Amino acid sequence: MTHFSEEDLIAYQLHESSDEAAIKRHLDECSDCAAVSDSIAETLRVFSSEPVPPPDLDRNWQRLRGNLSVLTPAPRRARFPRFLLWPTAGLAAAALLLFAFVGIHITHNGDRIADLLPSLDRLNHTNTAINGHGPLTTEPTAAADPGMANHLDAAERLLTEVNHTSGPLDPADRAQARQLLLSNAVYTRTARDHGNLAQAAVLDDLGRVLTTLDNEPPSPHKTLQVRLEMNTSGLLLDIRILRQNDERQNENRQ
Amino acid sequence: MNKAEADAIEQILAGNRDAYRVLMDRHFSAVHRIAFRITGNQADAEEAAQEAFLRAYNKLPGFRRDASFSTWITRIAMNTAINLVERRNRDLSQHGPRIADNPSAPDQTVQMADVYPGPERQLLDREAATLRAEALAALTPMERTAFTLRHMEDLPIAEIAAALNVPANSAKQAVFRAVGKLRRSLAPLAGGLQ
Ligand SMILES: [Zn+2]
Repeated sequence: MTHFSEEDLIAYQLHESSDEAAIKRHLDECSDCAAVSDSIAETLRVFSSEPVPPPDLDRNWQRLRGNLSVLTPAPRRARFPRFLLWPTAGLAAAALLLFAFVGIHITHNGDRIADLLPSLDRLNHTNTAINGHGPLTTEPTAAADPGMANHLDAAERLLTEVNHTSGPLDPADRAQARQLLLSNAVYTRTARDHGNLAQAAVLDDLGRVLTTLDNEPPSPHKTLQVRLEMNTSGLLLDIRILRQNDERQNENRQ
Repeated sequence: MNKAEADAIEQILAGNRDAYRVLMDRHFSAVHRIAFRITGNQADAEEAAQEAFLRAYNKLPGFRRDASFSTWITRIAMNTAINLVERRNRDLSQHGPRIADNPSAPDQTVQMADVYPGPERQLLDREAATLRAEALAALTPMERTAFTLRHMEDLPIAEIAAALNVPANSAKQAVFRAVGKLRRSLAPLAGGLQ
């Protein structure tokens, strides 16, 4: 008698099987498969839903509220002319153009990248973060620290360089990635301690990419993955936004 | 999306931050619930839900008004929670104790029979929740997410796959792998599985 695999029986128990009737017939006749099937059912019972403790909405709202900036609607048309009236935002628009160019460039050159990238639509989606509503947070934070500014600068340069080169990473870049990884951990913790979640999230994303770079991608495929991740996450743009917030905060203080 | 939510978004985009409370009151609990399934603890679930709501807020200017805010925020939350779990795992592997250094758990299965032998059934019951949590924590973030959302939250595979940004078959395979691993984690239980 041909038995069913554990996977077949799991699919059966989860009602994801395409062969439900045949499995049911077999289970009536085969005690071995029936025993496995029963133990799968028991597993699903043991790991059935446990109650989730309800969150404290007021406390969560208070925490969230402190991180919300004032938004303005994205202009439907004539987005770029309006942007260019505002120097910092003009810069952001330039970054957007550069980023779109990089995206298109890669798409044209790319073998598999073109297939893997969820198209420029994804890039544009990420870019909504800079559509005129300014800083990710209004809270004064560690972003005003000049060390932080240098850190973001260095990170942006490194990522831009990695993004524009092919083949394995050269040793100097890898050493810099490791250095940045160490300082990044400190800035991430500081941002988190200040309750600046948006900044912490960007720094976390940066940390993830730096970790991959530091781990010396052994194959061109892995390197491709890094570049892909940087493109799809819009990390470079996020860093530029943080960088601009930082500049704006410094201007406000002077 | 219903009118109250559409109105709230209009107000937020007109500069009224407090209008976001409307969306939070309606969706935070559900988002937190999903995040709890993925992260497995209250503190991380709240952090992930917070971060998801902040990300959604910052992306509101580009949010399509004909889309469902609920689906959108859920998807963001799933990603955020998985990222958080991956971050935690990475921190643990870099700074925390290594599993390989612990001779009592060589293959990450729950050694229930050895730790709680004989007739101490009550202790066993009391510890069961902890052991379940450990077995779930031994899954990869993707397996855990796919399993808990499919089995505990009854979400369709297609929705889970879309949020994880993987093909439906990968999400399904992750669920199957998770169930197989969980079944083996229960194997040492007395009177348990064959
Ligand atoms: Zn059989």
